[in-house]
Amino acid sequence: MDIFSDLVMGLSIAITPINLLYLLIGAMVGMIVGVIPGFGPSAGLAILLPITFGMDPVGAIMMLAAIYYGSMYGGTITSILLNTPGESATVASTFDGYPLAKNGRAGPALVMQAVASFVGGTVGVILITILAPMFSQVSRSFGPPEYFLLAMMGMLTLLVMIGSNWKLGVISALIGFALGTVGVDLETGQGRYTFGSAELIGGIYFIPIAIGLFGLGELFYAFYSGMHRHGSGGLVQYSKEQRFWPTAEDYISTRWTMLRGSVLGFVVGVIPGAGATIASLMAYSTERSLSKHPERFGKGEMAGLVAPETANNAASSGAMIPLLTLGIPGSASTAVLLAAFLLWGLRPGPLFMEQNPEMAWGLIASMYLGNMVLLAISIFAIPLFVQIIKVPYRILGPCIVVICALGTFTVHASFIELYLMFAAGIVGFFMRLYGFSPAALVLALVLGPLAEEALRQTMTISRGSFGIFLDRPASVWIICVTAALLVLLPLLGRIGSGAGKAEKAGG
Amino acid sequence: MTNFDTTLRLGAMTLALAAPLAVATPAIAQEYPDPGQTLDWTIAFGPGGGNDIMARTIVDILNTYDLYPGDIAVENRAGGSGAVGWGYLFGQSGSGYGISTTSGSFVTTPLQADTPWEPADFTPVALLATDDLVLVVNGSSEIQNIDEFIAYAQANPITIAGTGTVNVDFIVPTLFAQAAGFEFEYVSFNSMADQTTALLSESVDAMVGNPGEILGLIDSGDLRALVYSGASTPAALEGVPTMGDVGHDIGVSMPRGLILPPDAPAEAQQFWIETMQRVVETPEWAAYIENNTLTPTVLYGEEFRTFLSNTQNGFAEVLRSVGAIQ
Repeated sequence: MDIFSDLVMGLSIAITPINLLYLLIGAMVGMIVGVIPGFGPSAGLAILLPITFGMDPVGAIMMLAAIYYGSMYGGTITSILLNTPGESATVASTFDGYPLAKNGRAGPALVMQAVASFVGGTVGVILITILAPMFSQVSRSFGPPEYFLLAMMGMLTLLVMIGSNWKLGVISALIGFALGTVGVDLETGQGRYTFGSAELIGGIYFIPIAIGLFGLGELFYAFYSGMHRHGSGGLVQYSKEQRFWPTAEDYISTRWTMLRGSVLGFVVGVIPGAGATIASLMAYSTERSLSKHPERFGKGEMAGLVAPETANNAASSGAMIPLLTLGIPGSASTAVLLAAFLLWGLRPGPLFMEQNPEMAWGLIASMYLGNMVLLAISIFAIPLFVQIIKVPYRILGPCIVVICALGTFTVHASFIELYLMFAAGIVGFFMRLYGFSPAALVLALVLGPLAEEALRQTMTISRGSFGIFLDRPASVWIICVTAALLVLLPLLGRIGSGAGKAEKAGG
Repeated sequence: MTNFDTTLRLGAMTLALAAPLAVATPAIAQEYPDPGQTLDWTIAFGPGGGNDIMARTIVDILNTYDLYPGDIAVENRAGGSGAVGWGYLFGQSGSGYGISTTSGSFVTTPLQADTPWEPADFTPVALLATDDLVLVVNGSSEIQNIDEFIAYAQANPITIAGTGTVNVDFIVPTLFAQAAGFEFEYVSFNSMADQTTALLSESVDAMVGNPGEILGLIDSGDLRALVYSGASTPAALEGVPTMGDVGHDIGVSMPRGLILPPDAPAEAQQFWIETMQRVVETPEWAAYIENNTLTPTVLYGEEFRTFLSNTQNGFAEVLRSVGAIQ
C-alpha cells in the first residue's frame, strides 16, 4: 500500500488553503486560455511562468499544471459553440460538437464534454498513480522508427475522415501534406518554400490554419447564407424548451466510449511528442469505426464528442509520465513545466520522484482535486457560455474574427501567421461550399511532417534499410496493432451497420 | 561568402564612422545614463525561454543592487527566431537607451533568413556566458569514456543525434569529429525531448545537448556523459573532461551576451561594460549560471564582437560545406 500512503502524503500537501487557492487560480486561468482560440496552454504557461519565481515551488507547480490540464476543458467550449477549436487538441471535438449545438443540443454537449473531460482526466491520474513506473518503459521504447509507424497509424484516421466523397477528401489531404513541407528541412537545414522569411523557418504552424479553416470558414459561410439578418442566434439554435442537461441515454450510450477514450488517450499521451492532438483524433476515428451508427458521426453524435474529449484530457495526464519519470517533456506545454522545474533548481529525471516525493505526489494529488474543481467550474460556467449563442450573429461574427486574430497573433507574434489564418478562412469557406474536408487537410498538415521527419531519421539510422522496422520489438507491436485495426475495423463496422439496418427494418 | 564578408567590412566601417560622431555631439557626451530616460530592453523571444530568463535575471540584479538609475521597460518582441526583436534594436541605431540579450539564434538566424542585420553590426557590451553541449551515450552502452568512444567511432559507423541542423548541435560534433579523426551520421531532431527519447530507445548511438535538461538522467545512470564542449566543466558534470582536455578543442559556443544598438555612444558602451562587471560578481548571477548549467565565459566590448564574428564564420563554413546554406 505504498502508493496509497504516498497519495495521502501528497493530498496532505495539496490541501492547504494557499495551495488550494493556487489550484483554483490555475484551473480558472486554464479554462480561459483554453477558451481563446489559438492561445493555447503553452503560451498561457509561458506568460505566467515568471510570476511563479517568488512562489513556493509546490504551490506553483500545482497552479501551472492546473493551467495545463484546465485548458483542455476550456478548449472545447468554442469548438462546440463556434466550430472554432480553442486549441489543437480540440479540433476533433468540432466534428460532432458543433453539429450537436446546431441541432439545439448545445447545453447537453457542453455538459457532456465537461463530464468526459473529468472522466478522462481522472482516469489518467489514476493510471499515473498506479502505473507510472511501468509506463515510463513505454516512453523509453519509442524512437524514430516507432514514431513513423505511429504517424502511419494516425493516417488511418485520415481514411475515416475523408469519408464518402473520397476525391475531394484526397485533394484536401494533399493540400495539407503540401503545406507541411514548408520550413527548414530538418535533415539538411535548407529552407523549403520559406522565401527568405524568418517567420517561415519553423514551417507552417497548424493552429492558424485550423482556426481559419474551421472558425473563419464557418463564419464566412454563415454570412454567405444570410445568417446575420436573423434577429438572434446564429447557426447554432438554442431554445428554452430544449433540455439543458444531458439525458440518461447520453451517459449510458457513451460509457464505454469514455473508458476507451481514456485508456487510448493515456497511452498515446505517455509517448513523448505524440500528445493530446493525435490522441483525440485517433479516439474519434476508433469510436466511429466501432460505432453501430458510423453514419451519424459528423452529424451530431454524442460519442463523437465524448471520445476526443476523454482522450485529450487523459493524454494530458499521460504526458506527465515522461516528465515525472524521465524528465522528458512530451509537448510544448510540458516543456514549460520542465523549464519551471529547472528554474527552481530541481533535476527532473528517473530519480525525481524518489528525491522530491512532496513535489511529485503533491502534484499528482492536486490533479485529482484539480479535475474536480474544473468539472465544477465548467458546470457553473456553461449557462454563461450558452448566452453567447443568443447574441445576434451580426454582432457575434465580427467579435469571433477579432478573437481569432488576437489568439493567433499572441502565440508567435507573427503577421505571416495572421495572413495565413485569413487565407485559410477564405479557403475554408470554399471547401465548405464545395464539400472538401478541412479536417483531412489539418490532419495531413500535422501528420505529414511528423511522418516525413521520422522516416528520414529512421533511414539515416538504419542506413537505408527498412529491416529496422522488424528488428525493434516496439515497432513490431505497432505494426501488429495497425494490421489488426486495418483488418478488424471494417469487419466490425460492417457487422455494426448490418445490425443497425436490421434494427431500423425491425422498427 | 562575399555577402558575409561585405557585411563584416560594413560593420567595421560604421564603427570607424561612429567614434568621431560620438565625440562631436556634446549632448551625448553628457552623463550617461540620464535617469530621465527609460531603458528600452528588448527580449527577442517569448516569455519562459532561455533568452527571457537570462534578461529578466539581469534586470532583477540591476534593480536589486540599484545599478541603473532610470526606469527599465522590459518587452518581449518575439517572432522569426529573433529577427523581429533584434531588428527592432537594429532600428534604434545610434541610441544608448536600447538594449538586448543574445542567444544562439543571434548567430544562426541571419545565416538562414534575409535579416537586414548581422551580429557584428551591434555595439557589443559583453559575453556573459556560453551554452555548451555535453556528448552522452546510453547508460547501458559499453562505451565508458571519450577515448573508448573515439576508438569505437573510428572502427564502426555511428550516429549522433542533435536538435536541428543550422545549430550548434550539428556544428560541435562535426568539428569535434574532424579534430578527433572519426566520421559519423548526424540525425537531426526537432527538440531535446525527441532526441533524448531516441537515445533512450537505443535508436541512435549518442547525442549532444545542453546538460541542464538531462542532468536527472545523467545522475540516475540512464545516460553517460563523455565530454563537454565548454571551456570548463560545470559543477554538475564533475569528472567529465572538456574537449580541450582531450586535446580536441573546437572553440565554438552559443553566445549569451548583452548588446546595444549599432553605433551606440561610447559612454553607453563603457557604462554597460562596467555595470556588467559588477553584475557577474553577484551571488544571484552565480546561481543563474549554476541552475542553467552555463559556462561562465566573460568577454567585454570589442573582444565580444570578435567572438561573434568568429563564431558566425565557423558556423557558416561548416554549414556551407554540407550545403545547408549558400
